[in-house]
Amino acid sequence: MIWTIALRNVVKNARRSLTTGLAIGVGGLAALLFAGFVTSIWYGVQTSMIQQQGNLQVYRNGYLEFGAANPDEYTIKDWDRVVSLLAADPMLAEELAVITPRIDLAGVAGNAETGNSKTFIGSGVVPAEIDAMSGWDGWQIGQVTPASGLAGGGPDSVIVGVGMARMMGLCGALNVADCSDRPVDAADLAGEEQDFSALVAEESGLADQSLGNDQPQLNLMAATSSGVPNIARVVIEAAEPQAIRAVDNAFVMMHFEQARSLLYGDSQEATALMLQVANPERVDAVKTRVAEVLDQAGLDLGVYHFTEVDPTFDRIFGMFTFMFIVVSAVLAIVIVFTIVNTISMTVVERVKEIGTIRALGFRKGFVRALFLTESVIIGMIGAAIALGSAVVLSNLVNASGLQWTPPSNATPLTVQLMVLDNPVFTAAVVGALVFLAMLAAVLPTFKAANLNIVESLQRA
Amino acid sequence: MNSAYNPPFEHDAHIGSFAPLVEEPVVRFQNLTKTYRMDRVQVTALANVSGVIAKAETTFVTGPSGSGKSTLLNIIGMLDQPSSGTLTILDQDVSRLSDRDAADFRARHIGFVFQSFNLIPVLSLRENVEFPLLNRKIASRARRAKAMEYLDAVGLAEFVDRRPGEISGGQRQRVAIARALVTEPTMVIADEPTANLDTKTSRDIIALLDRMKSELSTSIVICTHDTSLITPASAVINIVDGQTAQE
Ligand SMILES: Nc1ncnc2c1ncn2[C@@H]1O[C@H](COP(=O)(O)OP(=O)(O)O)[C@@H](O)[C@H]1O
Ligand SMILES: [Mg+2]
Repeated sequence: MIWTIALRNVVKNARRSLTTGLAIGVGGLAALLFAGFVTSIWYGVQTSMIQQQGNLQVYRNGYLEFGAANPDEYTIKDWDRVVSLLAADPMLAEELAVITPRIDLAGVAGNAETGNSKTFIGSGVVPAEIDAMSGWDGWQIGQVTPASGLAGGGPDSVIVGVGMARMMGLCGALNVADCSDRPVDAADLAGEEQDFSALVAEESGLADQSLGNDQPQLNLMAATSSGVPNIARVVIEAAEPQAIRAVDNAFVMMHFEQARSLLYGDSQEATALMLQVANPERVDAVKTRVAEVLDQAGLDLGVYHFTEVDPTFDRIFGMFTFMFIVVSAVLAIVIVFTIVNTISMTVVERVKEIGTIRALGFRKGFVRALFLTESVIIGMIGAAIALGSAVVLSNLVNASGLQWTPPSNATPLTVQLMVLDNPVFTAAVVGALVFLAMLAAVLPTFKAANLNIVESLQRA
Repeated sequence: MNSAYNPPFEHDAHIGSFAPLVEEPVVRFQNLTKTYRMDRVQVTALANVSGVIAKAETTFVTGPSGSGKSTLLNIIGMLDQPSSGTLTILDQDVSRLSDRDAADFRARHIGFVFQSFNLIPVLSLRENVEFPLLNRKIASRARRAKAMEYLDAVGLAEFVDRRPGEISGGQRQRVAIARALVTEPTMVIADEPTANLDTKTSRDIIALLDRMKSELSTSIVICTHDTSLITPASAVINIVDGQTAQE
């Protein structure tokens, strides 16, 4: 009967109930859409990063702490044997989609024609394998990262950042969109001193070597593991934007073998192994197993989740989670005030009814339950409005193909508001709305229950 | 509905049996005083009022407006507590019960009929009469049957699905009487039950209460300033200026 009375009063005050329900609904809608966005970030940004660097990475112990200062001290020796070791484990063989090595390196790059030179940072990767990684879609969100473009070229080809191309004066030669070279006087160029990497190249006889095409070339100079400068001439396949400007301005991605022979000669060394786990739910189990295998082999290597190596994901997700919490808190306050107001109005209008109910022998708890139920019903109306409109709106937004570029990406992702894709969270938002309705009703219901019976009955 | 009326109740112990002439009163009140403090002035609404309510009888509480009738009824009905004095119902001192115990006691022993009917507007007549039975452990089917039985007894069987807003004032007060009696209380308190009704309807309502009292052996306490409504063979407590006046 409590539900009957509460429900009929909600219907009786239809306009007020609906206005309150709408306020709750709009608040809930905002929370759900924002949560849908945060959910899409959780899946989308992680997918992006897993496509780029795998879920897990193997490094020499100490690399993450000290390796940057002294990379050659912290390489993985005989990386190919480590790969064989991991691939030989039955569990890992089944779970790992890709195992691929990477070399991180830095040095000086120069272009003989433009006479420009600058520092570069780069990596050496196996093109076919990183392209295989970029097809990963473990959560089936349909997000694609384009292939690196490195696989198309020969073993001497490289990809550079757009900023790098611009600074080297190669925008024109590479046909980079939205990129123009610094204007230079031909006379100036002729009179300029020769770039020093070109100088080194000449000395080692590289300058005369022709790579057999007219694509722009770079001379890359880096220190070998023994400290001796070594140089390689490479062909720029394409310029591609990189997410971080400082990286974009210096980025060179080359074939793994190119980088390896440049730094380590005949020695099979690598900076890291990137491991991609097919099923994202299995990452922790795989990580444990990899650690066991490495440990049993007595190797001085450690395995890390990509978020341990690169805090970008945690920061992005943390930032949006924080924003979500702040927005939700503000919405919650507005919702609570609206409900307090509505239930208080209902109580004031029904003082005499409350007195009557108490006179008939009902305890205070019954009166509280009566108005609490009313508030919960309004909360459920609001939750239904929130959920319904969130589903409709998120479908509209998703269909509109809106794009955004997360801080971790160079290329934009299509905005996919994942409202129903995280059912636990969606249920939590809906539950929170109903809970807020209950919470907000507490004060007015206590006031109602504590009314003086005689005075209530005297009310007109 | 007057002549051909057949009581639907089976209270054989009371109906037709010969009750002893002097029954124990169900309610005794002694030296009831109620004072209100307004700013610095103290108002005495009730001063040392004593009396009894006899079992299965109608007691009229009369007196001019503002004399303290409602104050007395609210205390007897356990809606209010006296500033001093004692109230005993069914030999139990109930003058200082907690809010919760008082509510439970009212639920079991006291029914109310109000001046302005006080039905719950969103409930049908049947649901209104069922409502006080929520305090009892009764299956909904039995609850419904009981409500129908009492609505029939007050002559409203055909309107059970109507809302209070869809019937006349006299009919509403009949529903209120059914609601007061459906729990078969020891006593029904009616504070000015006819003040909002015309003379003819008022007489019908008093007659209905009087008849139900006999059928259910319930004590009825009716407060009114209209002495013409007093039925013969009823007890009368006359209050003037907060004190009992001798008849
Ligand atoms: N809550 C209250 N506060 C102050 N005075 C009150 C209050 N209730 C009743 N009174 C006073 O007590 C007296 C008796 O009132 P009441 O019992 O309502 O009289 P009646 O029902 O006979 O008209 C009146 O003088 C009235 O003003
Ligand atoms: Mg009065």
